[in-house]
Amino acid sequence: MDKNYVVLPCNGLDKCAGCITREIALILKEKISCEIICPVFYRVADARYNKLANENQLIVIDGCNTRCATRLASEKNLKVYKKVNVSEVAQKNNITLSKELKVGEDEKRVIEIIINELLQENQNTSKDLEIKFPETLDYEIYKKDKFIFRLPKNGFYFNENDCWVYVDGNLARIGVTDYVQQSLSDIMFFNPPTVGNEISQFDEVGTIESGKAVFEIISPVSGKIVRINEKLLESPEYINENPYEKGWIADIELSDFESDKMLLLTFDEYFEKMKRKVDEFHV
Amino acid sequence: MSENTFMGVPREKIDWFPIIDYDKCNYCLECVKFCPHDVYEVRENEEKKVIVKNPYNCVVFCRACGKTCGVDALSFPDKSEVTKKIKQLRMEMEQNG
Repeated sequence: MDKNYVVLPCNGLDKCAGCITREIALILKEKISCEIICPVFYRVADARYNKLANENQLIVIDGCNTRCATRLASEKNLKVYKKVNVSEVAQKNNITLSKELKVGEDEKRVIEIIINELLQENQNTSKDLEIKFPETLDYEIYKKDKFIFRLPKNGFYFNENDCWVYVDGNLARIGVTDYVQQSLSDIMFFNPPTVGNEISQFDEVGTIESGKAVFEIISPVSGKIVRINEKLLESPEYINENPYEKGWIADIELSDFESDKMLLLTFDEYFEKMKRKVDEFHV
Repeated sequence: MSENTFMGVPREKIDWFPIIDYDKCNYCLECVKFCPHDVYEVRENEEKKVIVKNPYNCVVFCRACGKTCGVDALSFPDKSEVTKKIKQLRMEMEQNG
């Protein structure tokens, strides 16, 4: 499963956009140690590259809309993992590429934008950012009328804004507690935070909404959002079913948990607080 | 009122509540309708038709009412400053036993 990347730039030498594809390939080689396919050599002798291209995730980079690299990939029947078009990215960011062939300041900005996008994607799918989350959780339960408030006992911390965090090494999973989902009742919308965003402790990381109210999810920890629970976009009711398991909100790469911990509650502390809130507040 | 401390710090010591910019406010009162904690109060007969009546009812770090404000008249303090202050107050309280 551990696939690596291989990059195929168009390497068009007579246009600035083509020259940019070469620069991007060189930076990628350095940053994610991927192999580079030379399109010129590939045309005359494909034995060397076919295997490489088929066994790795292929990133195709076209300079302009002639799409030489894409065409080459399709001629060789390659499966493309990711496609970038330099001219399109430049246009989208209101940058006019130079008529010169040398890479200037504007071109460097385009390169930076593309590299950042590609690396972010690379990180998001990276295996070692997979959190180890327990398969079953042990709950303490507080009942009030017909409402049941569960709270997982081991390995969880909470903030006073009724959000939880489960920490595994430098990764954390966050979500809301039963108090939130019971207070909101049927949750109909999940408005997720942006993957890749850096957040500080107590920043908002998305909202959830029911017919009753909008609830801002306040992050218990600081770090970078590496994954959101995409299933919630289709099925926000998972939060009502179980906000600790299938209704989790996002995974975060922690930046300073030791400091965050100072302003977090343990199970015992939050359980007491939740009981009080339920008794005084809940309707 | 349900909670009068936040992370062990008396709520009144934490400056977290909305500030209304009356130059921008158009008195649509969406914030009043939205907030379930009675932070705001309507004053029909006064020039300032809505005020922050119970600032310490405001949930620390909640900014949700701000999103209902179409003219962006609600602002909150700097979150990292407030976090710093809370940590500092807690340290002082621990030292004073």
